[in-house]
Amino acid sequence: MKIDRRLIYNFDWTLVGFIALIVGMGVLNLYSAGYGISGEPYVKQIRWVVLGIGVMALAFAVDYRWVARYAYAAHALAIVLLIAVFVAGSVTKGSQRWINVGGFTMQPSELVKITLILALSKYFNDHRVEGKYGIRELVTPFLVVLVPFALVLKQPDLGTALMLMILFGSMVLFIGIRWRALLGLAVTALLVIPLGWNFMAEYQRERVLTFVYPERDPLGSGYHIIQSIIAVGSGGILGKGFLKGTQSQLKFLPEQQTDFVFSVFAEEWGFLGALFVLVLFLALILWSLKIAQHSRDYLGTLIAFGATMLIFWGVFINVAMVLGILPVVGIPLPFFSYGGSSMVKMMAAMGLLMNVSMRRYVLQS
Amino acid sequence: MNGRPRKWFRFRIATMLALFLVLFCALVFRAFHLQIMTGKTYKTLAEKQHRKTLQLYPERGIIYDRNGEKLAASILADSVFADPSKIDNADEAAAQLAAVTGQPRKAIAQQISRSKNFCWVARMITPAQSEQIRNLKMEGIYLIQEPKRFYPNRELAGQIIGFVGMDSNGLEGLEMRYDGYLRGEPEKILWGRDARGKKLYMPERSATGKKDEQLSLVLTLDSRIQHAVESNLKEAVLRTRARGGFIIVMDPRTGEILAMANNPVFNPNAYASAAADNKRNKAITDCFDPGSTFKPFLVAAAIEEGVVKESDRFYCENGAYRVANATFHEANRKRHGVLTVREILKYSSNIGSVKISEKLGREKFHGYIRNFGFGQKTNIELPGEIAGLLRPWQNWTQVDTSTVAFGQGVSVTAIQLVSALSAIANGGLLMQPHIVKKFVDSSGETVREFAPTPVRRVISAETARRMTAMLTNVVGEQGGTGKNAALVNVDVAGKTGTAQKFDFAHKRFSSERVRTSFMGFFPSENPRFVMLVSIDEPQLHKWGGEAAAPVFRSISQQLIRCFEHDIGETPPVREKEINAGARIQLVSTPAAIPATGAAEEEEAAMPDFRGMTVRQALKAAQDRGLTMNVTGSGWAVSQRPAAGSPLKGHRSCTVSFSTGD
Repeated sequence: MKIDRRLIYNFDWTLVGFIALIVGMGVLNLYSAGYGISGEPYVKQIRWVVLGIGVMALAFAVDYRWVARYAYAAHALAIVLLIAVFVAGSVTKGSQRWINVGGFTMQPSELVKITLILALSKYFNDHRVEGKYGIRELVTPFLVVLVPFALVLKQPDLGTALMLMILFGSMVLFIGIRWRALLGLAVTALLVIPLGWNFMAEYQRERVLTFVYPERDPLGSGYHIIQSIIAVGSGGILGKGFLKGTQSQLKFLPEQQTDFVFSVFAEEWGFLGALFVLVLFLALILWSLKIAQHSRDYLGTLIAFGATMLIFWGVFINVAMVLGILPVVGIPLPFFSYGGSSMVKMMAAMGLLMNVSMRRYVLQS
Repeated sequence: MNGRPRKWFRFRIATMLALFLVLFCALVFRAFHLQIMTGKTYKTLAEKQHRKTLQLYPERGIIYDRNGEKLAASILADSVFADPSKIDNADEAAAQLAAVTGQPRKAIAQQISRSKNFCWVARMITPAQSEQIRNLKMEGIYLIQEPKRFYPNRELAGQIIGFVGMDSNGLEGLEMRYDGYLRGEPEKILWGRDARGKKLYMPERSATGKKDEQLSLVLTLDSRIQHAVESNLKEAVLRTRARGGFIIVMDPRTGEILAMANNPVFNPNAYASAAADNKRNKAITDCFDPGSTFKPFLVAAAIEEGVVKESDRFYCENGAYRVANATFHEANRKRHGVLTVREILKYSSNIGSVKISEKLGREKFHGYIRNFGFGQKTNIELPGEIAGLLRPWQNWTQVDTSTVAFGQGVSVTAIQLVSALSAIANGGLLMQPHIVKKFVDSSGETVREFAPTPVRRVISAETARRMTAMLTNVVGEQGGTGKNAALVNVDVAGKTGTAQKFDFAHKRFSSERVRTSFMGFFPSENPRFVMLVSIDEPQLHKWGGEAAAPVFRSISQQLIRCFEHDIGETPPVREKEINAGARIQLVSTPAAIPATGAAEEEEAAMPDFRGMTVRQALKAAQDRGLTMNVTGSGWAVSQRPAAGSPLKGHRSCTVSFSTGD
């Protein structure tokens, strides 16, 4: 296979620059968040970053159109792994999310986000309609998301399950949906929510209630939100300085390497630091949107848009949760939270973005 | 893509862009609100979580008497504490500690196994115990020095000084009232602490706040007078088999309390084991019916108002006087015919007093009682003072007015009584009684001094002079009720009083349970000391002249002996004195009071037989090789030579006994 020179010429260094900057800050912040903890989480995280770079390279090495051919197969494989979780998965903190694949423990629920984006992109690319989509045209793609959604919800992992739905919803909105269909879906969702309450696990209800009234149980489920807000708020404008965050270093902050890693950052670097990171994420997202806009074809647009949505909703939901404007749902902050599956998933998404970006001028062969 | 779809595609991208921007703005605004608008609040919340403040108090201030004698001081004592996380075998450690401290092993073991990083094992142990603990060299057991409060004079003025708790916080008396000054500002040391409560060194550890120095108190009390008063009181309570009693000595010119004693005594070093009742300073926290000691205030009011003169005569109804539906009698069913005002005081006639009060009128009488300070707190600097009970005159029936005239049906505290008498002694000015002279810092510099404060003029100097003359008769003249308080070469003014206690069970005044008092001042011509002696429920010598007056005399004699030889200050010249050579003059700065151990004096001096039975008196005389002439029977009431006179040359004595009335 001959490597097209234009691929190298069009390599998206801006995207790489954003990713490098964000990943670097993430590792540095994790160094602080895990300071004094045996095992030094940031060392492991660097390993995940290296692995992630490999996956990213793989994800942009081959043309995305070729990748899309295997999208359904990949999605099916991810669903099989999700089922396997119930058979061979390990239980952590009351839910079954991890599975051992070739010596690695991984979360299939993270993998399925990528395959969902690919599968939906392929589907919408293959089934274009004149004008906008109606309910009938959306039934099949809905099934594509509904199966993993149900499986993840069963684990139970409300955050990831909702994330899958949100990705689906974002993409449907993007491709264009008829107003009547949208209205119908919205009404259905409103009807489903009270029903969903009954299917929720106790801890999930607890979290929703705690979100509404955090002071309800300050030592129990409200502890996370209260401690996070105290840590962020006490950071002030300039923060307490690297490794000097009292709430994080003295372990008042729960889950400070995973879901609440942004609290550590906001405490130590203050409002200006938090603003900087948010602006950086926004820049990355806008750049990704630009990639989607300038893609060579509709498939590329859809894949790039899906990847963009993955970053955007990850950042927004996590930061909103840390700042106490959304309930605690357990969505990690992209590139910042400790965890291999999340890191590899994000790097794979970045690889897809790069894939679309670097092939924007390549003509169809 | 071309044409319309292209345009539509751009619109979708723009919509997404707008959505991203709006949601990110929401995040930034929220962060701005948390970190900048309300950041300070969260900062303090965070500090509350991870900062622990250790308060180190400076050594507690000292309480001195007026001459610099320490009444309360602090010494450093060792306390034992444990860090249970460093103790492997709690049972073994507890056994070792129990052997040294004498505490139950189980309690220590429980304590150690319950707490995490810190628990007290024993507070303020003896040096020998701490030496033993040090030698054990146990892991996780530490000694720390804590200031321990110590009262070198033990019971002396115990109820006035009060005591402090384990953490050096004043719990009673002056220790409580002036806790803030004595304790001083603590030095605050900040420590970091993590979510598990583990103490850790923080770079921000620093001393904050200025350390405000603790102050020491200098009291108006004179510990020598206090000692004389307490030992005499103790002896009197024993002799009369009383429930207790109290004595206050005051300087009438300044309102300074020189001594204030309560019996039963209270030792603040052992506050934990003392009965709660004994901790109270009953001279200010309890009120009682003053009885006849109230009569001088009635007479003073009547003279001030000009309704009577000393020589005015009143018919005393031969011992039974009917007012409304009540009939009044004299004490001990005595019968008096016509008495002058002077004699009414001298013989303490109830009926005479009732008649004077009738002449004065209840409204005016009530006004004077209030002006003398009864029915309201004196605001002396001691906690727990009560106001006593003085009903508004509008509520007085005719009978009430009559009983108040001889001191029943009105309740007063000892400090009110002494203050009121001081007003007569010093020429008519009610002084604010006070017990704290000044605050001094640790170098002895005066920080704040409390000057004598007059409250109001109650009677004119002329009335006060006339009252003093009459009260001097009560003690000095033959047949006066206060004759037992008379002193050699010093004129004493005073008044006895015996009040029946109200028997709540039978709702009447009891004739069995009485409070017998003597109040007086001397020298009459220039009073330096006002003293109230009050004995609660004496079984012997129920009537004031016999139980309380000798105590007054005994204390006065010791005071005179102490003050007369002092030449530190030129005594004021009094030209009018007839027999200047023989008169004893008192100067205001007291020198050493002779050691007042009553036992020592008895060895060399004539014993005080009063109150003894014939058998006891004979034995006491025999012990000292004295021959005794016995007259009468019952309890000893008088003796010759007087008690306390040197034994040399006297190998015989005459003692009169009486069964009472």
